[in-house]
Amino acid sequence: MHEAAEICLKCGVCCNVAHSCHVKYDHRFNPRYTFVYDCLASEKRASNPNIWLCVSCHKCEETCPYDVSPVYFIEALKAEALGTGFVHPTIRAEVAQIVSTGFAFPVTGATERQRQTLNLKPLPPKAVDELAKIAEKTGLAARLKEAQP
Amino acid sequence: MRYALFLGCFIPVRLPHLEAVARSVLPQLGVELADIEGFTCCPEPVGFLTDRVTGLAMAARNICLAEEAGLDIITLCNGCTYTLRQANETLKADPALRARINEILAETGHEFRGTVDVRHFAQVLSQQVGFEGIRSVVRKPLTGLRVACHTGCHILSPPGVMGFDDPLDPIVLDGMVSALGAEPVDWERKTMCCGWTLTNYGDRESANRLLGAKLDAMHAAGADCSTVICPQCFYQFDTGQMLAARELKMEYRVPTIYYLQLLALAMGRSLDEAGIRQHRVKDPALDGKLGRLTA
Repeated sequence: MHEAAEICLKCGVCCNVAHSCHVKYDHRFNPRYTFVYDCLASEKRASNPNIWLCVSCHKCEETCPYDVSPVYFIEALKAEALGTGFVHPTIRAEVAQIVSTGFAFPVTGATERQRQTLNLKPLPPKAVDELAKIAEKTGLAARLKEAQP
Repeated sequence: MRYALFLGCFIPVRLPHLEAVARSVLPQLGVELADIEGFTCCPEPVGFLTDRVTGLAMAARNICLAEEAGLDIITLCNGCTYTLRQANETLKADPALRARINEILAETGHEFRGTVDVRHFAQVLSQQVGFEGIRSVVRKPLTGLRVACHTGCHILSPPGVMGFDDPLDPIVLDGMVSALGAEPVDWERKTMCCGWTLTNYGDRESANRLLGAKLDAMHAAGADCSTVICPQCFYQFDTGQMLAARELKMEYRVPTIYYLQLLALAMGRSLDEAGIRQHRVKDPALDGKLGRLTA
């Protein structure tokens, strides 16, 4: 990851296409500074709240003339944030929900009623035991526990 | 052609009317849908926001179920397509990583072998059914309906993996809209993200400004509605627009219609059957136009 960041010339091509870096939408985020600052200059990587303003649209990947692709740095910083206590609370909750239920969103009574009205089958139970085994083996289960507020 | 239907989470839990329309129209185009027991979330936020290896293992497990059934996967969502195709292509190309993932999967009783493909319904319709095939089922051409096509991000990049369209100048969805007799409009900010991720994990005000800019551009181009092929984009342009419109004090609305709903209307289904009435953002002028076209 660092090797690719070191060839970034800060040419700014990514900032001309990245969707939320434009000052009109949010002046705080800009792929160059968000990842260069965090990967190369800061001792508190992943604590920069601006990483959560990246929408992972991948347009910086399409236009980066040096294959630096800021999106992957920013995603790596988001992943690192889980272990360092800076994870976005919505992400932590959603990931925990996926591991424990197999769905990214809670299934409510309203969901089931709506499905019934549309003549759709009830949602089948998910293979949560298998997901638990995977999360246990990769260590995600332990990291999620640590990251609990 | 028979596919394992991968519904993901968003559509079956929050937008089941889109599942209903998919189940209703795709078989009529020769796309047979098989339900596979045991699919879980693709798992989008696990993979690229939290833990790549766990994400790959959970995605591989889903792909294994389709392999065991001997079927390619069809999806209804850009996010699911991105997660599953990335995992599928990565694991097919990297034997060492595949071995590591299979070791993680061993206790679940599955083994990733790399024998199936993952395709979004828009890929199946544009590449396998073909534009001519789409035209052949149109009973009520949507003549005069001006549509702003929003393809979304995750079905486009990286194009080498996703194999759908040019990320900086996407035109396939426009072609699919033309095949229904409707008129795709040229509009600015077409390739910008819908902002759903920003709404949920970032900053709602920024997301509203981004969404407002996109809707302004659609409105300026004279679009009657937008069309999307992803439930996240759909939600943003529908519920997201309803919420943003209050804050941005928008004086107009640009309703959105999931592509399979447009297809259903062109195939002769009513607005009710296509699930259009369930949308939050409504425009009487659009309802009138659609009513006349489908009468």
